[in-house]
Amino acid sequence: MGRKYVIVGGSAAGMAAAHTIRKKDRNGNITVLSNEKAQPYFRPMIPYIINGKKRPDDIFLSGSGIFTQGGISVKTGFGAKSIDFQKKTVTTASGEAFLYDKILFSSGSTPYLPENIEGLDSEGVFSLKTLSDAQGMAKRSETATHVVMLGGGILNLKAAFALLEKKLSVTMVVYSPEVLSQLMDPKDAFPIRNALDNAGLNIITGISATQVLTDSSGVCGVALDNGSQIACQMVCVGKGVVPDTGFLNGNDIKIDKGIFSDPYTQTSIKDAYTAGDVAVAIDPVTGEKTVTSLWTHAVEMGICAGLNMTGSKTVYTGTLGIMNATQVADVPLVSMGIVHTKNSEYETHAKKTRLTYRKIVFSKDGTRLIGALFIGDIKNAGIYRYVIREKKNINGIKSHLINHTVHYGHFMQP
Amino acid sequence: MSLRNQFEEKTKDPAVQKMLGIASEQEIETVWDRYENMLPQCGFGETGLCCRHCLQGPCRINPFEEGQETGICGATADVMVARGLDRAIAAGTAAHSGHAKHLAHTLLKMATGEAKDYKITDAVKLNKVANRLGIAVDNREEKEIALDVARAALADFNEKETPVLWAAGVVTPGRVKVLSDLGLVPKGIDHEVSEIMHRTLYGVDADPVNLLLGGLRCGVADLAGCYMGTDLADILFGTPTPLASEANLGTLKPDHVNIALHGHNPVLSEIIVKVAQDMKDEAAKAGAAGINIVGICCTGNELMERHGIPSCTHSVSQEMALLTGAVDAMIVDYQCIMPSIASVAECMGSKIITTMDICKISGADHIAVKEETAAENAKQAISSAISIFQTRKNRNCRIPDITNKVIAGFSTESIIAALSKLDAQDPLKPLVDNIKAGNIRGVCLFAGCNNVKIPQDTNYIQMAERLLKENVLVLATGCGAGSLMRHDFLDPSKTKERCGEGLFAVLNAIGEANGLGGPLPPVLHLGSCVDNSRAVEITVALANYLGVDIDQLPVVASAPEATSEKAISIGCYAVAAGLPTHVGVMIPVTGSALVTSVLTEKVKELTGGYFIVDPDPQSAADKLISAIDERRKGLGL
Amino acid sequence: MSDLKEIFVNTQHCTGCLSCKLACAVQHSKNKDLFSALSQDPKPKSRLYVEWLWGNTKVPVLCRHCEDAPCVNACISGAITRAENNAVITNTDKCIGCWTCVMVCPYGVIGRDKDLKIAYRCDRCPDQDHPACVDACPTEALTYATVDKFSAEKRQAASREVAQGQGG
Repeated sequence: MGRKYVIVGGSAAGMAAAHTIRKKDRNGNITVLSNEKAQPYFRPMIPYIINGKKRPDDIFLSGSGIFTQGGISVKTGFGAKSIDFQKKTVTTASGEAFLYDKILFSSGSTPYLPENIEGLDSEGVFSLKTLSDAQGMAKRSETATHVVMLGGGILNLKAAFALLEKKLSVTMVVYSPEVLSQLMDPKDAFPIRNALDNAGLNIITGISATQVLTDSSGVCGVALDNGSQIACQMVCVGKGVVPDTGFLNGNDIKIDKGIFSDPYTQTSIKDAYTAGDVAVAIDPVTGEKTVTSLWTHAVEMGICAGLNMTGSKTVYTGTLGIMNATQVADVPLVSMGIVHTKNSEYETHAKKTRLTYRKIVFSKDGTRLIGALFIGDIKNAGIYRYVIREKKNINGIKSHLINHTVHYGHFMQP
Repeated sequence: MSLRNQFEEKTKDPAVQKMLGIASEQEIETVWDRYENMLPQCGFGETGLCCRHCLQGPCRINPFEEGQETGICGATADVMVARGLDRAIAAGTAAHSGHAKHLAHTLLKMATGEAKDYKITDAVKLNKVANRLGIAVDNREEKEIALDVARAALADFNEKETPVLWAAGVVTPGRVKVLSDLGLVPKGIDHEVSEIMHRTLYGVDADPVNLLLGGLRCGVADLAGCYMGTDLADILFGTPTPLASEANLGTLKPDHVNIALHGHNPVLSEIIVKVAQDMKDEAAKAGAAGINIVGICCTGNELMERHGIPSCTHSVSQEMALLTGAVDAMIVDYQCIMPSIASVAECMGSKIITTMDICKISGADHIAVKEETAAENAKQAISSAISIFQTRKNRNCRIPDITNKVIAGFSTESIIAALSKLDAQDPLKPLVDNIKAGNIRGVCLFAGCNNVKIPQDTNYIQMAERLLKENVLVLATGCGAGSLMRHDFLDPSKTKERCGEGLFAVLNAIGEANGLGGPLPPVLHLGSCVDNSRAVEITVALANYLGVDIDQLPVVASAPEATSEKAISIGCYAVAAGLPTHVGVMIPVTGSALVTSVLTEKVKELTGGYFIVDPDPQSAADKLISAIDERRKGLGL
Repeated sequence: MSDLKEIFVNTQHCTGCLSCKLACAVQHSKNKDLFSALSQDPKPKSRLYVEWLWGNTKVPVLCRHCEDAPCVNACISGAITRAENNAVITNTDKCIGCWTCVMVCPYGVIGRDKDLKIAYRCDRCPDQDHPACVDACPTEALTYATVDKFSAEKRQAASREVAQGQGG
């Protein structure tokens, strides 16, 4: 009889762990419990479901990238409800119980819905997290003509563009002074903001919504804290996410923001591991605990958890709290490490050209690269990530880092 | 793959195929091996996108890289390509005119009595040239006229008040106007070469079109160099008349002292041919049945057209002559001499003798030949060959038993003489009538080299076969003529099978009228590469006869296997003269869409001529035929 | 050990001629010849880089097709996979141009096609016996060999150097 592995959550971290376990342990019994109806898919791809550029079939994990192993039992529609760590049993919402030898909590996160906005449960209000959210938005957008996006993060921007491409008019209401405030200081965002404006996205900053207005067909508008109202037939809330740890309520497992993880991805309970959005990881730059909802981080931590669960002790070296790449309105951008430098004492070097912007951030004493922001020209961004993450000695290459002329040759042994 | 097939991919000449078998068996490296070793060749060079004109370089523009559109100085791809092309034109021009200058010095020294081994062989030509130059001939000594002609020739190299006479005086009046209006009349041959070097220097001309016009003017200066070369050689050594000869490696004779004369200029080779007559006894004493002189490349053409000396081989197969083991000495002057012959000669126990101060080769013997001591120098070289024969005579020679019959030696003068047998009063009339009647659809000149990238002779054979069948009169010079002669295109017995009916009828009529008892050969051999001037002279005569300009005539040119920069400068003067000019090898300009389009399209609006770059011989032939037909249509034919 | 081949770089042999870059672009063009590639629009891209170090060292840099490739883990669209020849390749139909792979590649060898808005990278020329860059390299700065063979040759070269050092 093989070892029983149960994985709670069937997205990036869970499936990466499952495939890793399968590679390491050919006889193990691997069960993935997913509370979603759809089979596991590339979650960051769901904006493409909204504009119809991809069909659900196109974005399923199975067979792509590292997700190529067979013999994994994925039980969709099986949300975990409770855990009994003594009996090593997980019970689902539908009442079924699964015994485990090793369990992974990779339940991900759920959208954060601010309590101070009324009416977020109305028909026509979405929060883009799952494939079914995207399908719902696609459907609603068939009849809607105007959408209000609450929040200016990456996911909302991608959703906004998907809707713009469907010829809807889109207003983005951002409480922060500028879009993408998690990824950069407001003053650094100008090339993106220009491109967004040119692309026809209507952005209002420094304003918050207070209420979603409804009529018989659901959403009909949004009231703002400046007293004005915007008529719309659809609202999309993108105000961040919170780790999904509800099924662990009442258990004696250490949770602080997310599920505690030791360096080997194990939780405070033996034989229970965690990875992905729900887990707490260490940011190698700040040394602080971080909970981040990044696909790459989830996959890497999932792989690491999979290794540890099969007995290959592997340290998870953590993830940068900020580490994002994307392209919005044809402008590519990469933001990594510490990039918010306003009122800080970090040594920063910013360079603006007609179409590009970059900011390179060093520690206060200037000896270590701790962050980089590239907008428009993202060449060799991976080298910067490597230097930041591995805390590389920058003697002799600092000027290349500042001038964006660094290349792999600089790291070769002489 | 059989060996035979393997060699067919390298050359279509069966004699050369045989020699390649021997080379491979003896593990002697040839140009084909070195070419294969050289592959892949640098794409920046292939496209003209590299520049070494300054010490900040070398620069190369990667056409696939964004943000790298210029060299360090800011030169664009267009500028880089145009500058590179200009320098190639200048090199070609310098070579042809260097050859002509050598003849001018010889003529001068002959006239002043310093070079006693030389004389005026064709006084009629001397007078003709003098008349053209405005030099008085009546009641003057030949040598006095020759002295003036030589001085006029040398004066044409400098910038002076008059334009280059050998350019402005040899084309149609209409062409003089076209060239003047475009600023393409050269001021001095050396001046143009030097100006190209100046304008292509770091930080001078950076307008690609201006650079190309400068290159074209230098090309016109090249015409002057070529024309002068022909004129002066004809004066000194005689204007060719048709004569019979032979070609290919079978012309080497195992029991003779074999001397191969390789290079371009007749100044030395003429004397060697003469002196060899007087050294038969010495050869006999050494046990030889005689002295057998053969030519290679254009020296071969010069000797063949005036004396019927056989041509041994040409261009890319020059090493093969040595590989036979039968060549005792290869005496060379300059141009198209592969340095590799020194090591092949060493392997075969043969000797390379260089003769010119500007062309020495490590591993070769050098005899510093001076016009003043030409016969003496020639004797020394021949003696050297005889002594090599003595060490070689019992050794096994491997000479392919392949020779081709050749009728060569068609100059403008001899063609007009032949035509005058049909119409003594109006010799061009029969030719023009046949063009009008369509028996001659048009005229194509084949010039240029062999190129190791093309299976030797393939393009010449395929294109000439096609054009002859389409009743296009084919003229050939240089290694183009060499190629065609090694495939029986200069053999009158092949005229009937090679040519279309109309063309055959014309060639047969001329042959019969001249008492040849048959037709002229399918292709008319006009001589060496400087003798492309003869094709220009004939074309100009036709244009003047019809009262039109050159760019209206159904005349085209092709260098289907070009190698030398000389082929590029010739191509430029053909285009400047108004001819559609085919090149069968990619010239290094494709890195610039602008330069490519100027050369292949836009220049047509300026001079009427243009380049056709097409490596495929069949489609190239199609294009030449449609160019001919377009012009026939323009003339209402 | 695996008999799968890899592209090895010997920087001491690199003259910086960039022939590899040209050959790479041509190999990834429609007709696979230089002259038609020049007129292709958008232009084909080369997938390797020749960098320069002070002291005039020229460094060809190309995808190492890493064992535990960060780009494969990072790809959010499932476009990056490991092919049969062990190369890590980007499926151009699946790539959406999110640039996450560019962000995580420590070698900086994943390019951004500004026209097609997708990533491009070395695929080790799956249709060819040898990658085009290796064939184009005039100095054997790039070689295509199995890991075993390459390291054996390196050892031999090292021992030769030692022997010469002792002799001289």
